[in-house]
Amino acid sequence: MDELSPQYDGTPIISTSRLTKAFGKLVAVNDLELQVMRGDVFGFLGPNGSGKTTTIRMLLGLIRPTAGRAVLFGMDNADQLPAILRRIGAIVETPVFYPYLSGLDNLRVVAASSDMASGKANDRRLAEVLDIVELRTYENLTYRKYSLGMKQRLGIAAALLSDPELVMLDEPTNGLDPAGVIEIRRLIKRLSALGKTIFLSSHVLYEVQQVCNRVAILKKGNLLKQGNVTELLAASQQVEVRMNRDDETNYALHLIQQIQEQGANWITGAHIEQNKQGQGVLILDAPVERSAEINALLARQSLFAAEIHPRAGSLEDLYLEVTAQGVQPGNAIGMEALASTVGTPAEMPGSGK
Amino acid sequence: MSSIPKSQQVMPTPRRQESVIIGNQSYLSVLLRLISVELYKIRRRLMSKILSIVAIAVMVVFFGIISIGSIFVLASPEATFLPPPCTANLPAGTLCLDHSPTQAELDQARQRALTAVSSPLRPPDSVGTALQVGSIIGLILLIILAGTIVGGEYSVGTVRLMFTRGPTRTQFFLSKVGAILICAVLGMLVLVLIGILAGVLLNLFTGIGIDFSFFSGAWFLHTVLKLLIVMLELFVYGMLALCLSTLGRATAAGVAGALVWWGLETILGGFLFLIGNYFTGAFGNVIKAIPDYFISNSIGALLQNQDHYITATSQASTISDLQALATLVVYLAVFIGIAWWVNQKRDVTN
Repeated sequence: MDELSPQYDGTPIISTSRLTKAFGKLVAVNDLELQVMRGDVFGFLGPNGSGKTTTIRMLLGLIRPTAGRAVLFGMDNADQLPAILRRIGAIVETPVFYPYLSGLDNLRVVAASSDMASGKANDRRLAEVLDIVELRTYENLTYRKYSLGMKQRLGIAAALLSDPELVMLDEPTNGLDPAGVIEIRRLIKRLSALGKTIFLSSHVLYEVQQVCNRVAILKKGNLLKQGNVTELLAASQQVEVRMNRDDETNYALHLIQQIQEQGANWITGAHIEQNKQGQGVLILDAPVERSAEINALLARQSLFAAEIHPRAGSLEDLYLEVTAQGVQPGNAIGMEALASTVGTPAEMPGSGK
Repeated sequence: MSSIPKSQQVMPTPRRQESVIIGNQSYLSVLLRLISVELYKIRRRLMSKILSIVAIAVMVVFFGIISIGSIFVLASPEATFLPPPCTANLPAGTLCLDHSPTQAELDQARQRALTAVSSPLRPPDSVGTALQVGSIIGLILLIILAGTIVGGEYSVGTVRLMFTRGPTRTQFFLSKVGAILICAVLGMLVLVLIGILAGVLLNLFTGIGIDFSFFSGAWFLHTVLKLLIVMLELFVYGMLALCLSTLGRATAAGVAGALVWWGLETILGGFLFLIGNYFTGAFGNVIKAIPDYFISNSIGALLQNQDHYITATSQASTISDLQALATLVVYLAVFIGIAWWVNQKRDVTN
């Protein structure tokens, strides 16, 4: 995400302190310290069962924390929940509406239940949000006849209805076709440009990287990482070295490990991965600006790299790094297991891969 | 220790877009708006329409069945309605006819029979008939409605949507209570009026005019009170359905639970009476007194006491109005209290 919202001013709009939720012996969220700033497009990541939805539910007052507190807009949600909710538009999991009402009538019900004036007073606003999610043509269709994607879009329309400052979207691209996914991405960017703070919970890392300026990664209820996307990715930069032959690659790895043992702490890790051509490449966890130094070290041992270049850090790599402890890159079993819970660029419709 | 400072400044609310029109934010306005939303949802449900049609149909059919008696009287030979001719075989004291009936006597006999049979079609009897039918069918249908509008929110999942919109959980809860109360009042009123109207229309076939000599201020007052008592009955069972469907997070829990409770009261009342008769003394008396604190018996007592005021021939109930009302108030407090408390404290999960 290149541009920040015009409202971005570093003021926390959501702050949690030691927020904890336990269901019996199962601790779903543990001591969560979350900070979402005004104007953020905040990505909330984690595998299934990591506590994302539980956190959203606690923030929205649907469930009560076992311990800790959450402050939104400077108000504690234990004491001032109605005032907080009036400033939020949210989708929690799959949006659900009254199946016997049309999309438009459902929005009318939501509007009247959101302190908005009832009757025809808000018809213009209803038309606006239906236009935003491109459901105007289907506004009179009964909700039970909506496709999953249409339901998702109606959920977004409902979230935007009262023009809230904070929009919380829990897996908003679930069930959407490629065009729908792209449209949601555009919509999030548009809302951010309008000064809205977006809290986006998602599995689809590619999407999150496209739209979010800050992220938090959760696993088994624990916050593993939180911060600015650019900074987090910069910290996880890697250098990829390709040699001409596999024995050279193995020797280069051995050499780098020796250098590490001798105290070169700027290299934090090294391993061999298979590239798309099935050839082994050396991956070094090291600053990109020291690529020339790496090249020189290898050359001193008569190892001449065929190719050396920075490997662009992706949110996916970062995610795997912080969540998949013990899962080595290139390890087929580990990657498959992760792929079942985490969306990858390859899975992204319209990603061109 | 919390890392958030205790005193934080509340962020000012930015201006919303001009197209967003916010309604009155007072507690009552929000509540009234939510009640209107509930009524709108009820009105738009197919189930509500079907229930209304069923209720009206049952009422009309019931009056239709009563009118069949009149048709039977009109179609039968006049002599059927005369006392038997006096013969030696008749037991002593039996009313009998000691001469050949004249045409006038035949006509009178038929008219008497017709008047007696068709009496439930005309006021004031038809009001009582409509109230009785309405109290049974209305109660069943209101229980279904109450269970559905509460349990449905949980089973469909729309409770999440509603609880994250701004109004408090108490306001949402009270809107359900208000909607059920309005349905009980309006439903019963409409149903009784339809019953009376159906009776009047079917009575036209009998050719017997309506005698309004019964009408007086006292009759009207006590009849209105009877109507209110039946509405109260519907509301109490509606609250039972609301309570049970809230506890069970499902329509079925509220509907089945309230209907079973209603049926059990009758069965249990008879059973406790038998046990009470079996045991003599204080214990037996206590057992026999338990059904006096049932919902249906309290309602029955209130209705019986009103009948006693209207017609001197009816006996007053052994349960006083005060005891019956106090019992019903306690039931309402318990049902509404439990449902409200659960609604407030519950975690809304899947």
